[in-house]
Amino acid sequence: MIGTELEPYDVIVCGAGHAGCEAALAAARMGMRTMLITGNIDTIAKMSCNPSIGGQAKGHIVREIDALGGEMAINTDTTAIQFRMLNESKGPAVQAPRAQCDKKAYQFRMKHVLELQPNMHLFQAIVSKLHYSAGKVKGVGTTIGADIYAKTVIVTTGTFLRGLMHIGRNKTEGGRSGDFSALTLSGSLKEAGIELERLKTGTPARVIGSSVNFSVMEEQPGDERPLLFAFYDTRGLPDDLFHVEQSPSLDLAERLLFHVEQGRGMRKAGWLPGSEQLSCWMTYTGDETRRVIMENLQSSALYGGEISGVGPRYCPSIEDKMVRFANHERHRLFLEPEGRNTDEWYINGLSTSMPFDVQQKILHSVPGLENAVMMRPAYAVEYDFAQPTQIHAWLETRAVEGLFFAGQINGTSGYEEAAGQGLVAGVNAALKVRGEPPFILGRHESYIGVLIDDLVTKGTFEPYRMFTSRAEHRLLLNHNSAELRLGEHAIRFGLMDEGRAKLVKEKIAKVRNWTERFEQIPAPGGRLGDYIRRGGDASPASADFHALSASTRDEIIYRVRYKGYLDRELKQVEKLSHIEKIAIPQGFDYGKVRGLRNESRQKLEKHRPETLAQASRISGVSPADISLLMVSFVSRNA
Amino acid sequence: MYSDGDTIVAAATPAGESALAIVRLSGPLCTGISEEFAGDRPVLPRKAFYGAYKAADGVLLDRCVFIPYPAASSYTGEDMLEISCHGNPLIVRQIVDDLLRRGCRPAEPGEFTRRAFLNGKMDLTQAEAVQDIISARCEAALEAARRQLDGSVGTAVNALLDKLLHVVAYTEAYIDFPEDDLPPESSEGPIAELVALQKAAKLLIATAPYSAMLRDGAKTVIAGLPNAGKSSLLNALVGEDRAIVSAEPGTTRDYIEERLLVGRHLLRVVDTAGLRIGAGEVENKGIEKSLNQIEHADIVILVLDSTTPLPYREVPEQVQKLSNRAGLIVVENKCDLPDSVKLSDIMPDAKHVRISALNGDGVEELRGVIAQTIESSCRVPGQDDVLVSARHAEALRSMSDNIALALEKMRSHEPAELAASDLRAALSALEQIVGRVDHERVLDLVFSSFCIGK
Repeated sequence: MIGTELEPYDVIVCGAGHAGCEAALAAARMGMRTMLITGNIDTIAKMSCNPSIGGQAKGHIVREIDALGGEMAINTDTTAIQFRMLNESKGPAVQAPRAQCDKKAYQFRMKHVLELQPNMHLFQAIVSKLHYSAGKVKGVGTTIGADIYAKTVIVTTGTFLRGLMHIGRNKTEGGRSGDFSALTLSGSLKEAGIELERLKTGTPARVIGSSVNFSVMEEQPGDERPLLFAFYDTRGLPDDLFHVEQSPSLDLAERLLFHVEQGRGMRKAGWLPGSEQLSCWMTYTGDETRRVIMENLQSSALYGGEISGVGPRYCPSIEDKMVRFANHERHRLFLEPEGRNTDEWYINGLSTSMPFDVQQKILHSVPGLENAVMMRPAYAVEYDFAQPTQIHAWLETRAVEGLFFAGQINGTSGYEEAAGQGLVAGVNAALKVRGEPPFILGRHESYIGVLIDDLVTKGTFEPYRMFTSRAEHRLLLNHNSAELRLGEHAIRFGLMDEGRAKLVKEKIAKVRNWTERFEQIPAPGGRLGDYIRRGGDASPASADFHALSASTRDEIIYRVRYKGYLDRELKQVEKLSHIEKIAIPQGFDYGKVRGLRNESRQKLEKHRPETLAQASRISGVSPADISLLMVSFVSRNA
Repeated sequence: MYSDGDTIVAAATPAGESALAIVRLSGPLCTGISEEFAGDRPVLPRKAFYGAYKAADGVLLDRCVFIPYPAASSYTGEDMLEISCHGNPLIVRQIVDDLLRRGCRPAEPGEFTRRAFLNGKMDLTQAEAVQDIISARCEAALEAARRQLDGSVGTAVNALLDKLLHVVAYTEAYIDFPEDDLPPESSEGPIAELVALQKAAKLLIATAPYSAMLRDGAKTVIAGLPNAGKSSLLNALVGEDRAIVSAEPGTTRDYIEERLLVGRHLLRVVDTAGLRIGAGEVENKGIEKSLNQIEHADIVILVLDSTTPLPYREVPEQVQKLSNRAGLIVVENKCDLPDSVKLSDIMPDAKHVRISALNGDGVEELRGVIAQTIESSCRVPGQDDVLVSARHAEALRSMSDNIALALEKMRSHEPAELAASDLRAALSALEQIVGRVDHERVLDLVFSSFCIGK
């Protein structure tokens, strides 16, 4: 039987949230015998907070997940009820798609994908502890009394590690409203020498739509011709799925997108991603909102001193916004539907840790919500996380061999950030089992790489969210190029089927060839490359070019138009590549480096960078410090 | 081979006047630069060739000896080039500046040795010694830099950094938070701030030559007609300041250089051959060299004999040309003699001082005038003013250049992330001075300036 000491699983994933699902899928797709354990099988891939996926930087990550053979993109496309492209007024590098999802549909599809995945065992139990032996992880203990063994364990606990929810001064144990709290696992991690700290996050109230006066709000519809998250041209489909409804590829599209439902009587004939979109609605807080909040500030869990964990700066509670931006007359709110088959609405912008009675008053002070009936109150949740400087760039803990962390336990926030880490953790657990070198994504090739490098190099003091500005090579990371940047990794790990692998390779070659050819093709006033950089379009190119997929054409034009900038960034990447490769020995004694300033030594000892490049990214570390370290390592390795 | 892809350049000989000076380069640009100076001749490994050093803009800087070293046989294990020029600090500086314009960057302390070590040009037994050398050099450089950064330079550069971070934060806020309730985006504020930043950087950069001047002294040329008393004047000026005087032969031995203090200013005084009267014609090489000295001087003291007055129209043409020059002082010598007359009609716009080099009359007044002239013709910083080093100036110049690129894009309404890319380059130029800046500082500004979050 699998899971015993004699015949352990290859990989156990604890937690079936967005990180856990991608981790388990990646491992199983790489041929690992995988168990995904969750405390509640009915809450797999649950969207605990807002109903949306994507947006700035996050949308980039979702496309990267698709390029790496993950599930989030296609799961979003098939369950989304609204799509919007953000930042259309800016250039292509910083545009990103965002979708509103049907929360339940999202969960059900993901659950079904997991169920159909070969090598996957989906199991319901609460993990109470980890088993170790000689510095290695051996398996997990559960509250049902069963011990399950594995060669590697990926922990994706989200907000459940000693989760504590606050509504005013009221406290309830639990990682999410209606769910349990993992009370004993923290102790097991501490036993292994892993230090834990507290973070805080929150979610706003949900109301019933029939009690909302939408007529005073502004409608925010989806895009008519949305851009989807997954890449379809390399799956043998037109990029523009919406205009294929009458074409023979409809059948193919349905088979591909709804493979999960095939033969199970769940086929959603006639519906394709992006059709029949629902709207969101916009309103603003009023003067009364401010008055209610200011009068009751002391009863807020946050301002009343009930919460010790640090919350995110980019996601402040409404009381925080009122205090810090006292001169703002009003604050914008969005009402977002939670799904197609429900009338529950999420109030984006009204997150709070006020007591229930004050929450009611705040809600009713908002134009359009005067008579709103609350279905679930807002709450804040505090949970344990492990400062991510305790893990390697491949997400394995430094303290315990074979133990991997992904998602909020690493101090991040967001479904997308979690899923990206989950995928990388799943791949690395599989590589560990195979005895192969770890997979480390570079900062220059992906937002997921920037995310993980920031975490393991600098740690975090608040729930870490991705922003495009965190990526120094942002122009190289446009969402449309994700598959070109990362596809080869997915092919190497076997995360992409052969048909798609072939098309991805072809697409990479086409983009490279056409980008060069554009500098030769004649165009008005010179060559096509210059013509495009002067603001022209690609019309002088031959019919062959126009026959390429839209995503291929867009990428070629992008690379030609921004050639100067992209070359500059590539040059910087090249310059840094040598120090990316210089490893700092484990347990290196910085005290022995003569000439190293005390201040730098202390910082390096605290952060324990694993490569010279990581060391160079620590604030205050100077080029001279890097020189000294470089010589020191080389002389030791010689 | 270890390489960060940069070509580094530095003077390999100590600063100051000497017969010869060597400028050393290491990195991929060496081959191209060697080939350019070799012209039609083939570039052979380790074979010296003689040629004109023409700057990128075509100006002849010096005649030099070039020795190219291919990677296999060079000190650093990279392609190298050694340029031997005349040992005049000005020429050395011009050559280094020109190489920077050609894409090289200034070498960090100990960087040639570091590259040599990393490229396996030294064995393990030498490693510890190399580490000592580098740490000692770095320590010295760091110590100097730290002292500077604690003081006025640090304050000034950090003020620039704060301003730049504000603009970066503003730009990034509109890129990363398109759906948040931000006030309407305007490029006017950021443009004004960037222009102000450029101005501030320019003022700081302008102090870099002065910091070289503090180190080397303000170049002061004594010129005049033969027998006007130039040498006596030099002796009179030097007289009480013997302690800091060091006579050094000029590169061509056609002039004498002395150093002396006037007030708080160090002067590098050059005594030139006389400018002869000869219908305005340059009679010999000596005069040509004198004129060349005058051209590059910070201060020119023109010595005239007040006992043999010339009508203005008879003043040699090359001397007349000086009249519009900044930093010109006209000395009317021999004022103690009975037939001395006032020469105020000659170069009436310049400052005139009547002295007697022989008995010392007016020499004190002349010192005062020299000090004033230095202070008004060079941008002399005040006591609390900031002097940046050449390395800092280079970083500030790079910041300014990148800001200029960003401004261009902002004014022509190109996508914001392109200007942001230039601003990031500007920021990393400043990081060369202040060390790594954590991106959290940008985010802090974004979150404290804008109400962000849903």
